[in-house]
Amino acid sequence: MSKNKTLTKKDQMQQDKAQDGQQMLVDFTRPRTNPMANVFDGLVRFCQSRSMFMLHYCTGCGAIELPPAMTSRFDMERLGIQPMVTPRQADILLITGYVSVKTLKRIILTYEQMAAPKYVIGICSCTVNGGMYWQSYATAKVLREYLPVDIYIAGCMPRPEAIIEGLQVLMDDIKTGRAENWKRYFQNYDYYLGNQQKLFGDHWQTPTDIISEARHYDLITENTLGKHTALLEKHQAPLQALEMTLQQNRERV
Amino acid sequence: MTQELNVWLDKILGDIENVKIERKRSNRLRVDVDARALPAVLELLQGRASYVHLSAISCVDRIDDDEFELVYHVWSYEARSLVSAHTRIPRDPGVYLSIYDLYVPAAFFERDIHEMFGVYFEGSPDMGKFILTEWDGPPPMRKDFDSEKFVNETFNREQYHPQWLKDLEKEGGGITTPAEDARK
Amino acid sequence: MRPENYEARKHPPSNEFELNFGPNHPGIEGNYAFKVKLNGDEVLEAKADAGYLHRGFEKLMEGRLWIQNIALVPRICVPDPVPMEVCYSLAIEEIAGLEVPERAQWIRVMQLEMSRLAAHLFAFGGHAATCGMYTTMFWGVADRDLILDRFEELTGGRVYSIYNIPGGVRRDVPTGFLERLGSLLDYLESRLPDYDNLFFTNQIFIRRARDVGVMSQEQALKWGVTGPNLRATGLAFDVRRDDPYLVYDQIDFDIPTEPGGDCLSRNLVRRSELLQSIRILRQVIERLPSIKGPIRCPIPNPLAWNVPVGESYPRVESSKGELAYYVVSNGGDKPYRVHVRGPSSMHAVQVLEKLAVGSRLEDIAQIMFSLDACPPEVDR
Repeated sequence: MSKNKTLTKKDQMQQDKAQDGQQMLVDFTRPRTNPMANVFDGLVRFCQSRSMFMLHYCTGCGAIELPPAMTSRFDMERLGIQPMVTPRQADILLITGYVSVKTLKRIILTYEQMAAPKYVIGICSCTVNGGMYWQSYATAKVLREYLPVDIYIAGCMPRPEAIIEGLQVLMDDIKTGRAENWKRYFQNYDYYLGNQQKLFGDHWQTPTDIISEARHYDLITENTLGKHTALLEKHQAPLQALEMTLQQNRERV
Repeated sequence: MTQELNVWLDKILGDIENVKIERKRSNRLRVDVDARALPAVLELLQGRASYVHLSAISCVDRIDDDEFELVYHVWSYEARSLVSAHTRIPRDPGVYLSIYDLYVPAAFFERDIHEMFGVYFEGSPDMGKFILTEWDGPPPMRKDFDSEKFVNETFNREQYHPQWLKDLEKEGGGITTPAEDARK
Repeated sequence: MRPENYEARKHPPSNEFELNFGPNHPGIEGNYAFKVKLNGDEVLEAKADAGYLHRGFEKLMEGRLWIQNIALVPRICVPDPVPMEVCYSLAIEEIAGLEVPERAQWIRVMQLEMSRLAAHLFAFGGHAATCGMYTTMFWGVADRDLILDRFEELTGGRVYSIYNIPGGVRRDVPTGFLERLGSLLDYLESRLPDYDNLFFTNQIFIRRARDVGVMSQEQALKWGVTGPNLRATGLAFDVRRDDPYLVYDQIDFDIPTEPGGDCLSRNLVRRSELLQSIRILRQVIERLPSIKGPIRCPIPNPLAWNVPVGESYPRVESSKGELAYYVVSNGGDKPYRVHVRGPSSMHAVQVLEKLAVGSRLEDIAQIMFSLDACPPEVDR
């Protein structure tokens, strides 16, 4: 595997140091020395907060309050928030309610496909602690363990006003630069991957190479690599392109 | 018309051995059939008495008797009555005949029962996994599967016990006794 | 990482290819997926893939008290939650032999019809969006919201009301509620010509929906289709009339049918049912003030209520079709077994798989919305 070769000695050392951590959600921000960069960052953040695309994915029953919030009555679009159909172009991933294990896999795939900066909003009580499905064998209970959540909107289910207010809080957070939770996924990838592996089995892997992305964003910390990522390296099957052969001149039946 | 048909129905079902008929309401009929005779009863109901709509197949895990109870609810659009045909099969090995050739909707219910209870239906078109594709434990609807125990072993919970709640509990407020105990 | 039920075909024999359609797709109603085999944009085979919304309701209900489950059941079908509560309550009432007061029955009928109105507005609004006519969706959802306001006034909850309990309803109708409901009905009726102009007689919609997803009456009966989808094939069957529950036998209403059996007919049936629901609600508004009496019969302490041994299978006409609960009690304080027969368990799986074959890829979403398939009913 090519990734094994690129694993430097320094990374290996970090990997050894890293623990099976629960308590290592450190916030890591790069110091900006250039004052002009700060001004420019502020402008960028303002623009980001005013045009947010949220992914059109109804993961649970809270999604029923999104159409009223989006359409004529509450009209989220006046805040610059619009549904978007593809994860590549979306900024917000709304987890609307309970996540069954089967959906959680798709949510993680979707989240990793989204381009940074990206934000996760957990709507409904079920994303916090399982909600009323606390004894259900099929739903994952604490969403925070698998993805970095920016904002929770409580309620079963929250009203459209509550959803809009939650989104406004997120906008403020983006404007002031507080909504940086997406970096945590790269910084603490080992922790999130460990929880995912615990639930989905040791052979869990996604097509997205998070470690290389973390390196690209310069967000590698001592918690990015660890024993769970080592397990991933061990089990990872090389990704194959989908084979699709098209025979042009075949008679149609 | 309904009355006539009911008489006709009694006559049909009377021909089969080991059938117990119980009329619950004017348009609800409960039939208890031996497992071997059930497909024949359903065939008669569909072919001769116009019970063409299979409303549902329900499975009940009678763990005390070590049996599964299968309930076939069939509805007649003409007679406007519903017949629930009950039958029992042994829990082990839990194999029964599919009625897909009589009722097409049976395919969904049989696959569902296969997933949730582990009853295998011979002759059903698809016994593959459908809803529980991520599940590799025992069939979850069986009574001997404890969902709560499984959850406690598998998932973490958010620990939320802030200071204000502790203060409240010190004063005797808040939820201090679990609901199960309070009920006693 | 591919879905575990995905099997890559190494060398397809032709220019056929497979596509995973959903769950993250705007053309899918809810969280649901299809694996389709295509030739160009023609669908050769479709296979439903459910379970994304599986919560194990039937297992959860075995572990909770009879009364606790009232809060659980409306979650089974999100757009149309009231029939779930009513059907579950009917099941317990039948086992325990409770007599529901007449006033409670009329209030239940009122709720059921309000819920049907809301669900139908949502359904054809969603269908319009799949044809690219977003205005209808915006209007439909906004008008549905007005009904939700009335629900909020009546029950305290916008979507999940948790208002029907075994033996009756929780609270009486607030003062002035019926007048406000009446003016809402007038408003909705006055909106129908607008919807006609915008959607139902719109050539864009008619050309897209006519002769798409056609099933004959014979096929519909064979496949177990119920509700508006069955009535769109010309069979006038309605659980409300043919297997009456509550006070539907005292109410005057028609059963609209359409002969076509295609997406267009199914939507036209829903449009006619809006009028019938308005008609039923007007009768309720007229009759309800004259029916005095309690709103629920006395029940034992619900926290220590041992429902006697028995079983029942009540059926209710939800906005999607025939909804039924098979409830078994062994004399305990919790249900021994609850089996939910959601109408969409037929429509979204077998019927959709069959109707999709031969249609085009872009029509799958349309067929799904025209069947008003509700994935949580399949997964439970």
